[in-house]
Amino acid sequence: MFEIEIDGKIVNANPGENLITVTDREGISVPRFCYHNKLSVSANCRMCLVDVEGATKPQPACSTPVSNGMRVSTKNDKAKSSQKAVMEFLLINHPLDCPICDQGGECELQDVAMSYSSDVSRFNEGKRVIADSDIGPLIQTDMTRCIHCTRCVRFGAEIAGIMEMGGTGRGDSLKIEPFLQEGIQSELSGNMIDLCPVGALTSKPFRYELRSWQMNAVEGIARHDSVGSNIHIQTYKGKVKRVVARNNDNINETWISDRDRFSCDGLNHENRLQKPQIKYDGVWKETEWDTALVYSTKALLREVIDNKEESKLGALASNNATLEEYYLLRKLLKQVGSDNTDYRLNIKDLSNTINLDSNIKIKDIENIDYALLVGSYTRLEQPMINHRLRKSSLNGATIDVINSMSFNYNLPINSEYILNSSQIANLLARTLKAILLSKEQEIPGYLDKFKVSDADTQLANKLLSSDKSAIILGEHLINSDNSSNIANLISIIAEKTSSSTLNLSETGNSIAAKSTGFVPNENGLDANEMLASKMNAYILLDVYPKYDFHNSVSAINALRDEKTFVIALNSFKDSDVFDYADVILPISSYYETSGTHTNVEGEMQSFSAAVGSPKDIKPAWKVLKVLADLLDLSGFNYTDSSKVTSEAKQQIKQNIEHDREINLINTKGVEIIWQPSPYSTDALLRHSNSLQATKIGQLNTASMSASTAKSLKLSDTDNYLGVPVVISEVVADKCVFISSSNETISEKIS
Amino acid sequence: MNEVCFKNLNEKEPWSLATYEANGGYSVWKRVIKGEFTPEEIIDELKVSGLRGRGGAGFPTGLKWSFMPRNDDGQKYVVCNSDEGEPGTCKDRDILRFNPHSVIEGMAIGGYVMNASVGYNYIRGEFMEPFYRFEGALKEAYKAGLLGENIFDSAVSFDLHTHLGAGAYICGEETALIESIEGKKGQPRFKPPFPANVGLFGKPTTVNNTESFASVPEILSKGGKWFADLGVENSGGCKLFSVSGHVNNPSNFEVPMGTPFKDLLKMAGGIRKGKKLKAVIPGGSSTPVLTAEEAMSMNMDYDSIEKAGSMLGAGSVIIMDDSTCMVEALTRLAHFYYDESCGQCTPCREGTGWLYRVLKRILDGNGKIDDLDLLQQVGSNIMGNTICALGDAAAMPVESFLRNFYSEFEYYIKNGKSMVKDNV
Amino acid sequence: MISKKAKKQIDSWTEKYPANQKSSAVMEALKIVQLENGNCLNPELIQEVADYLDMPGIAAQEVATFYENYNHKPMAKNIIRICHNISCMLNGSDNLVSHLESCLGVKTGEVTPDGLICVKKVECLGACVGAPMMQIDDQYFENLTAKKVDEIVKSLRKEGK
Ligand SMILES: Cc1cc2nc3c(=O)[nH]c(=O)nc-3n(C[C@H](O)[C@H](O)[C@H](O)COP(=O)(O)O)c2cc1C
Ligand code: SF4
Ligand code: FES
Repeated sequence: MFEIEIDGKIVNANPGENLITVTDREGISVPRFCYHNKLSVSANCRMCLVDVEGATKPQPACSTPVSNGMRVSTKNDKAKSSQKAVMEFLLINHPLDCPICDQGGECELQDVAMSYSSDVSRFNEGKRVIADSDIGPLIQTDMTRCIHCTRCVRFGAEIAGIMEMGGTGRGDSLKIEPFLQEGIQSELSGNMIDLCPVGALTSKPFRYELRSWQMNAVEGIARHDSVGSNIHIQTYKGKVKRVVARNNDNINETWISDRDRFSCDGLNHENRLQKPQIKYDGVWKETEWDTALVYSTKALLREVIDNKEESKLGALASNNATLEEYYLLRKLLKQVGSDNTDYRLNIKDLSNTINLDSNIKIKDIENIDYALLVGSYTRLEQPMINHRLRKSSLNGATIDVINSMSFNYNLPINSEYILNSSQIANLLARTLKAILLSKEQEIPGYLDKFKVSDADTQLANKLLSSDKSAIILGEHLINSDNSSNIANLISIIAEKTSSSTLNLSETGNSIAAKSTGFVPNENGLDANEMLASKMNAYILLDVYPKYDFHNSVSAINALRDEKTFVIALNSFKDSDVFDYADVILPISSYYETSGTHTNVEGEMQSFSAAVGSPKDIKPAWKVLKVLADLLDLSGFNYTDSSKVTSEAKQQIKQNIEHDREINLINTKGVEIIWQPSPYSTDALLRHSNSLQATKIGQLNTASMSASTAKSLKLSDTDNYLGVPVVISEVVADKCVFISSSNETISEKIS
Repeated sequence: MNEVCFKNLNEKEPWSLATYEANGGYSVWKRVIKGEFTPEEIIDELKVSGLRGRGGAGFPTGLKWSFMPRNDDGQKYVVCNSDEGEPGTCKDRDILRFNPHSVIEGMAIGGYVMNASVGYNYIRGEFMEPFYRFEGALKEAYKAGLLGENIFDSAVSFDLHTHLGAGAYICGEETALIESIEGKKGQPRFKPPFPANVGLFGKPTTVNNTESFASVPEILSKGGKWFADLGVENSGGCKLFSVSGHVNNPSNFEVPMGTPFKDLLKMAGGIRKGKKLKAVIPGGSSTPVLTAEEAMSMNMDYDSIEKAGSMLGAGSVIIMDDSTCMVEALTRLAHFYYDESCGQCTPCREGTGWLYRVLKRILDGNGKIDDLDLLQQVGSNIMGNTICALGDAAAMPVESFLRNFYSEFEYYIKNGKSMVKDNV
Repeated sequence: MISKKAKKQIDSWTEKYPANQKSSAVMEALKIVQLENGNCLNPELIQEVADYLDMPGIAAQEVATFYENYNHKPMAKNIIRICHNISCMLNGSDNLVSHLESCLGVKTGEVTPDGLICVKKVECLGACVGAPMMQIDDQYFENLTAKKVDEIVKSLRKEGK
């Protein structure tokens, strides 16, 4: 640390820092366009030129390292005249039509230009015009406005990990554009909109709607994955207009995924449920809330309470409700006398589930030196986790992958094992054995049959020799015969090698569900047991059966049973819900309700409603509270949701003990891994037209090797479970990997 | 004349290894391999010689070589800049065609001094004849065991490759050249870090001009002092001057530094019959233009040319007689920089186009008298504000043409046509 | 499709660079592929080159559009690249350009109807002491006069038949 002088003020600086880091820290404003603190320095806009004593030429603050005793002026004549010169050059070819530009009011160029009293333009040679091309459904381009700062180009190469934008041509025909007109594919592409300092890249769904100053910005939390990225929700007259990133260096830094940014597009979909409805004699009638609630409570009294069949009441919830909603629904059931609550609708065998604690902070992922990724395509599933992993790899970490299919990773993979789930379990078992051998520790009986190869020892050694290793388990294996074995093996391996673990198989807000005890205890029935035994009544929280259940056919059959009364709380219309429900209560969607999201590191982030719910739509937590009141249950007199939050937090269960029994199973026959496309994992996403129009949104493939196809008597012109077959040799043998945004037409998991 | 790079020019097949060796070629390299020189000795000898970079900037070569972290572990590179694209410059082409082995030997010695086991010679893409010559020489050198691993069973290794350009003047700028070898657009990098710390493939790298490398063997063979004494103070040795334009015998001349311009002009056959010298660009298109009087009283060395108001640059002397329309000449130069700007930094990308378009408008007869002020201001707004020196190079001709020939521009604007053409 | 032969030629360039720096050969690779494809590149070829050298397509496209010597439109068999920079201009290159235009019957940038010749005005080619000059393929032609130019065009036409 040493001292330097800036504009007459003595300030501290660290060796190796650039001047702009110091001025930013000290609140000394230096104009800039190309510099961004999360991107590499390019020093191409020249806007940040300042006067450094002793240098003949003005120096760019963004790329000038500080040195002891340096004296800098950011505002003297020399600095100002350079800055003014650059400003004029930037404007000669830039349209001066801010009033019709989408960036107007939040344009960095406009802001800076204002403070350099714009002279009458001396440029009379005709402005450059650039033809635009369609780069996809999310980003609107207006490249005539581009000032060539290359932030978007660097973003692709450095952050997204796929270079999509580039600068073609040279001189004043330099053009920023993607190649081959395929459009932008990155799952993080929307960040380029935030990065673009001018109106060249803007949000396509939001186009021409409003000026930023007309909107309110509300702090929010994105809930589509288990990261909980911090966002700003921009609203106007009670409507969500746009979502942008909010900086939180512990979680998402300045980035958010496209999923988190563009899901709000679905809020105004015509499929939103608008009013409570009751089915009388098979015919749906819209009604008032009072009527619907009273109708519902009467049914509960009639079907379960009055006849003391409390254990015949079940509650099922999707995995993206709020912590408060899980807590209240669980509390309601408990007070009625039922322990039947579950959110794990997509698991075939609930006695064989993944129990693995996560014990690494998101921000620390970038500091690991070795990662073993099991059953995950993190890039699409948890984009911000993948971003940290990519950073770790750029920092020199080695990444190995064990997956049932090879994916288009955006970070260098060291070794890739393509295996089906039994083989994965066996590999982990052999690795554990190799670890124990090397540590000269006792070998448990279940490892006796395994022979350790050199490759296994190598894998073991990587885990043993790394200082900061992590094993990351994704969501692909949740329905394998060895789910719990795999989780247990990982947890033991991690323990023996002092590795961290990260369990990404819990998606959405399911960690909150788990921590509020929404999974049944020994007295309750789990989701599959409920559906198998005839229940008298259900409360379903935002459940869409064809997407949520592993076996939607049997689930729908069970729910539509004449004798079963179903109260469905949903935000979107769904034909199956209309089919089986008796009363439908329209609930608020994302951003319309307050609540809490628990992320993979256990961070509970609360948020308030960014907008009110549309008329006749109510937040689920209030609906549950009123239902409880009407049932005369005690302890539900909450005045606002934060009371629920604090009560729920006090009862949070942490680090639930699981047994670590291992009993390896050899899977027979063909194994199916069904993974919903990342843009179809909840109802709001499925109604975001912009996301659905992207390549990721349209994923629809059942990939399998030629020999698997042959054994299933399929060719690449066929469909499998309604999904087009793709023959590919990067899929493990005897394994079908389905990636689809479709609803299922039959059982997902055979 | 012709004592260093052009030493063998009059021999039969001057480019062959046989001719080169017969004239003492590779004797220094062989001594280096035997360990007769330490790197420090070579650097000192170069410092004594007063050799300054022949690529245009004139930075002392010995000093530059001393900046390399030669004792650090890891790969380092030497790179030869044969991109020769500055209008008026065509000397490196002849070195490559007629004396390729001097470049190879110079680079090998540089590799040894800077502890860089790999070198690249970046030859501009259009120079195919020089490329084949250089490749031929490389083959000969490898065959003779002068290059490769553990040369003559010593601990010294040096591999040398050619990289071809594909048509971009900016790749002559050393960091753009490095980017280009990395397979990227030739966009200059900002400095610091300097190539000696972070250069080619992120490794310490030194870039020198073809003529600089080609001069090294002869300097070490005859001694730094011998070379220094050929020239004048601050400008050691001989230098190749490419004399082009309105002279009877345009050619490359290797003459001692400090040779009077008058004499050089005479060697080039003087001005064409019936014409008078009007203007001289002494160091390539990027250097300021001088009037006839300024030029006639200067000598061809760094200090003297600077005193006259310009720069020695790459030694590319462009002679213009009194039939030259200065508006047209400047427009042509402005077009060049506009065409060749890499486009990454704002003042150059936007400013070079602005300069050219205003000049073109004047040339088309649509100029306004205010345009002359504007040109000067745009020029000075580019100057010093860019990443690399191309911006300055674009601005300097504008400033000097207007300063020295203002009335001609004024005339053109007022009359919509050239003063010169009018007089003819 | 990049031919086997072209791939071999490309490989001879990649050998010069460190193993993880295949993309250093992109400039030559594009030239090789361009020559094979009738003197012209297209996006598919550029992508193939990029794939072959383990680099993003857009990065190869950047290179292909940055440097002068790549063509993105069908070109004549022979491109006459005539320098019109300062030294050549002082020695009458403009007159030569007009001369070429009139004897070929096309303007600069256009291709003769037989697809044989196209004239391009280019910046300094580094042969200023031989001004005026031009380049066809690998060859420089210096100290040009109208008569010399006529002869060169004549021989191009003869070979072209
Ligand atoms: C726009 C521009 C073009 C240049 N072109 C060349 C060139 O063609 N050849 C060259 O040797 N140096 C050229 N230079 C200078 C190089 O950047 C560098 O200074 C030189 O190669 C160093 O070698 P030297 O020290 O031996 O002169 C150019 C510089 C600039 C800014
Ligand atoms: S000055 Fe011109 S050529 Fe140099 S970096 Fe800037 S834009 Fe590129
Ligand atoms: S912010 Fe420093 S040059 Fe752009």
